[in-house]
Amino acid sequence: MLQFITKRTATLVAAVVVSSFAVFLIPYFTPGDPVRKIIRSRVAGDAIDDASVQRLSESLGLNDPLAVQYLRWLGDFFSGDMGLSFVSRTPVVEQVLPALSVTFSLVAMALVLAAAVSLPLGIISGLRPGSGADKAITAVTQALIAMPEYWVAPVLVLVFALKLSVLPTAGWNDLSSAVLPALTLALRPISFFTSAVRAGIVDAAAAEHVPAARARGLSHGQAILRHVVPNGLVPLSTLFAVWFAGLLGGSVIVEVIFAVPGMGRLLFDAVVNSDIPLAQGGVVVVVALAVGVTTLADFVHRFLSRTVGGTLA
Amino acid sequence: MRSSFRPLVLVAAAAALTLTGCGFSGTQATQPSAAADTSQRIVVDNFRAPVANWAIESDAAYILSLSGCLETLTTFNQAEGKVLPSLATEWKQTSPLDWDFSIRQGVRFQDGTDVTAESVVSALNHVLDAKVPARAFNRTMISSVTAVDGQTVRVSTPAENPLVPYRLASVNTGIMAPAAYKPEGLDPFGHCTGPFTPVSEKAKQSLTLDRNENYWGGDVQLAGAEVRFITNGPTRAAQVQTGESDISLSIPVASLAGLKADDGVTVLGADSPRTATMYMNNGRAPLDNVEVRKAVREALDLDALAASVYEGAALPATGPFAPSEPWAGGKQDKQQQDIEEARKLLAGAGYTADRPLEIIAIVERAEFADVAAVVQENLKNIGIPVTITSKEYASAEPDVLAGNYDMLLSQRNRLIDIADPIGFLTADYTCKGTYNLSHFCDPEYDRIIADAAKTVDTTERYKLYAKAGQILQDKAVNAWLVNEQATDAIRTNVLGYVQDPLSRYVLTAKTAKAAS
Repeated sequence: MLQFITKRTATLVAAVVVSSFAVFLIPYFTPGDPVRKIIRSRVAGDAIDDASVQRLSESLGLNDPLAVQYLRWLGDFFSGDMGLSFVSRTPVVEQVLPALSVTFSLVAMALVLAAAVSLPLGIISGLRPGSGADKAITAVTQALIAMPEYWVAPVLVLVFALKLSVLPTAGWNDLSSAVLPALTLALRPISFFTSAVRAGIVDAAAAEHVPAARARGLSHGQAILRHVVPNGLVPLSTLFAVWFAGLLGGSVIVEVIFAVPGMGRLLFDAVVNSDIPLAQGGVVVVVALAVGVTTLADFVHRFLSRTVGGTLA
Repeated sequence: MRSSFRPLVLVAAAAALTLTGCGFSGTQATQPSAAADTSQRIVVDNFRAPVANWAIESDAAYILSLSGCLETLTTFNQAEGKVLPSLATEWKQTSPLDWDFSIRQGVRFQDGTDVTAESVVSALNHVLDAKVPARAFNRTMISSVTAVDGQTVRVSTPAENPLVPYRLASVNTGIMAPAAYKPEGLDPFGHCTGPFTPVSEKAKQSLTLDRNENYWGGDVQLAGAEVRFITNGPTRAAQVQTGESDISLSIPVASLAGLKADDGVTVLGADSPRTATMYMNNGRAPLDNVEVRKAVREALDLDALAASVYEGAALPATGPFAPSEPWAGGKQDKQQQDIEEARKLLAGAGYTADRPLEIIAIVERAEFADVAAVVQENLKNIGIPVTITSKEYASAEPDVLAGNYDMLLSQRNRLIDIADPIGFLTADYTCKGTYNLSHFCDPEYDRIIADAAKTVDTTERYKLYAKAGQILQDKAVNAWLVNEQATDAIRTNVLGYVQDPLSRYVLTAKTAKAAS
C-alpha cells in the first residue's frame, strides 16, 4: 500500500511539473506575440503601439529568459502562491477555485445522471445479449456517441427552453439551470457506461461461479443479483473516474453554450489570451484532481474486485 | 452555395432592407401607448464579459457604461452626430493646446461624495497612468489634466487637437469617486454617477444594479437591472425569445429569422462602423499596381457575397465608410461586378499569372473562409489564380505588418476609440500609420488627414475625411466588401430603448418596461 501511495505521489508531482511546463510553453510556440494577445484580451481592437507592448512585457517579467520565468513560477507554486493573472491582475487562485467548484458540480451531476441511466440499460442489455431489447439499447446508446455537444446543446435548448418553456436556456443559478448542461455532458458517458456495464454483465453471467451459486440453492434472480450484477459494475468505477478527470477541463463547449462559468471556459480563455499564470494554475489543479480521482478509482476497483470475488482482478 | 438556406436568405434580406433605413444613428424602439411600470427590473444580455477586474482603461468600461453606471464628461449622440454635455455642462478651447470643461454642479457619486474638478482630475489621471493606456485618452495625445478651480478641469494637449471633447466621450474616460480607485483594482460598486448603481456581481456571469434614487439626470424608470455576460450569440438570441432577457445585444445572423418571426420580440438594426475588407498589399507586386488592384475590385460580386455568405444581413460596401456615416461624402455608388472591365485593366497593367496570390482568411471570423472562396472564384474568372490560407489573426499579423502577404480578409472598427474616424484614417492609411496593413502611402492623403486633425469645424473636418476616402477609393487601396450591421433584439414591452451601434449606452434613466 505504501509503495502504491509513494508511486502515485511521485506521479502527481511529475504530472504537475510536466503539465505546467507544457502550458507555460504554449504561448511561445504558437503563432503571435503573447504580450499582444494579453493586451487584446483587455481591449478589443487591432492596432497596438509598441511602447505599450514593451511596458507590459517589462512589468510582467516576460523579458526574462524562459527558464527564469518558469522556475520563478514553480518556486512560487510550491510555496503556495499561484501568482496573479496576466489579464485581470487578480490572484489566480481566486479565479480557479470558483470555476473548479462549478465544473466539479456540473461533471458530478452529468456522470451521476449517466450512471443512473446506463446501469439499468447495461444490465438489461447484458442479461439478454442478442435480444431485441439489447439491440435497441445498443443502437440508441451508440448513436449518442455520434452526437456532438455543439449540436445536442442547441437542440435541447430548442425543445426544453424555447418550445416547452420548462428550463432556462443558460446560466448557473439554481438546479434547473444545471439540467440542460448536465444532460448534454451526460450523453456520451451514457453510451460508454452502458457498453461497459453490458460487457461486464455478459462476462460475469458466463463465469463458473454463477452455476455454482445456483447449485448451492440460489434462485436465478438471487444469483444474478449477488454474483452477476456486482461483477458487472466493477469496470464502471474506473470508467467513471476517467470521465470525471477528462470532463473537468474538457467541458468547454457546454460551458460556453450554457454560459456556465467553469474550468473549461477558464482554461480555454487563459490559453487563448496567453494568460500563462492562470492557465498554469488551472491545468495544475485539474491534473492534480485527475490523478487524485483515478487513484481513488483504483482503490475502489481493487476493493470491489476483492469484495465481490469476481472475475476481474 | 448554401441553396438550402434560400428561405432564410430571403427573410434575412427582407430584414436587411428594413434595417437599411435605420442608418448610422441607430434605431429607436418606442411604444408611446404603453405606460412605464417603475417597479420593473430589466435583464440585458451583453456579448462580452469583463476580464480585466473592471480596469477603466479596458473594455470593462463598456460594460459599466451600458449598464447605466459609468458616465463621462461628454457623450456622443449618434442621432444628432455631435458631442453633448454630460458630467460637463460646457467646454471651450481656451488656447490652441488647452480645453476647459465646466463640471456640472450638484452631481454626487453614488457614495454620496460630490463630483468636483479635483475628483475628475484624479479619475482622468488614473486613466493616463495605466500601463496599457486607453486608445482614446493617453499620454500621446493628452499632456496633462489639471483643475483650474473647483468646477473647471483643463485638458492640455501636446499639439492642437479639436477632438478633445470627443475623447472625453470615450467610455474609458468615465468618472468614478476617488474611493473607487483601490490598489487591487477598480471598485465600481457605489462609486459611479449614473442612473443605476451596481450592487452585486456574479463573477463571469452577471452584474446586478439598482436604481440610483438620487440620479442627477431625472427619475429613473426602472427599479433595477441585471446585465448578463453571455458570449455565445445563439444563447443571447434564445434568451430574448424565451423572455429570460429583455434586451439581447449583437444578435448573430443565423438567429435573425427566428426572432423576426416572434411577436414578442422586436429586432433593431443599424449600420455598424465595421466594413469587412479585403486588404491588398500595395507594397508588393502585382498589387503594387493600381490597375491590378482596380481589376480585383471590378471582379468582385458584392451583391452575391452579401446575399450568400452574409445571408442578407450585411450590405454591399460602397467604399471605406458606411453610406450613412456623415463623412462618407455624397457619391456612394455600389461597386458593380464588371468582368470585362477587370480583364481590360489586367491586360493594360501587363499582369501575368506568374504565381497564385494568397488570401489570408482570419479564423476569428468564421464567415471569412466562405468569403475567401467567393473571392477566389471571382478572381479566377479574370485569370488571377488564388490560394486561401486560414490563420489566426495573431499569427498573420507579423507578416502582414512586415508587408509579406498579398491579401488579407479582416474588418476594423472605424470608431473604436472615439466617435470620429481620425484615429482609423491615420493609423491605417497614412505613410507612417502604425496599423497600415495595406502599406499605402500617398503624400496628398497624408496632407488631408493632417489638416483634418487640426480642423475644429465638424462639417469641414467631415469634408476632409470624405476627400481622403475618395483617394482611397480612386487608388483602390483595398477592396471594401460589405458593411456589417449591428443587430439587437428587445422584448416588445421594453420602452425608450435607443440602439447604439457601439453598445456604449443601453440602460439610461429613460429605459423602461411596461407592466407585464
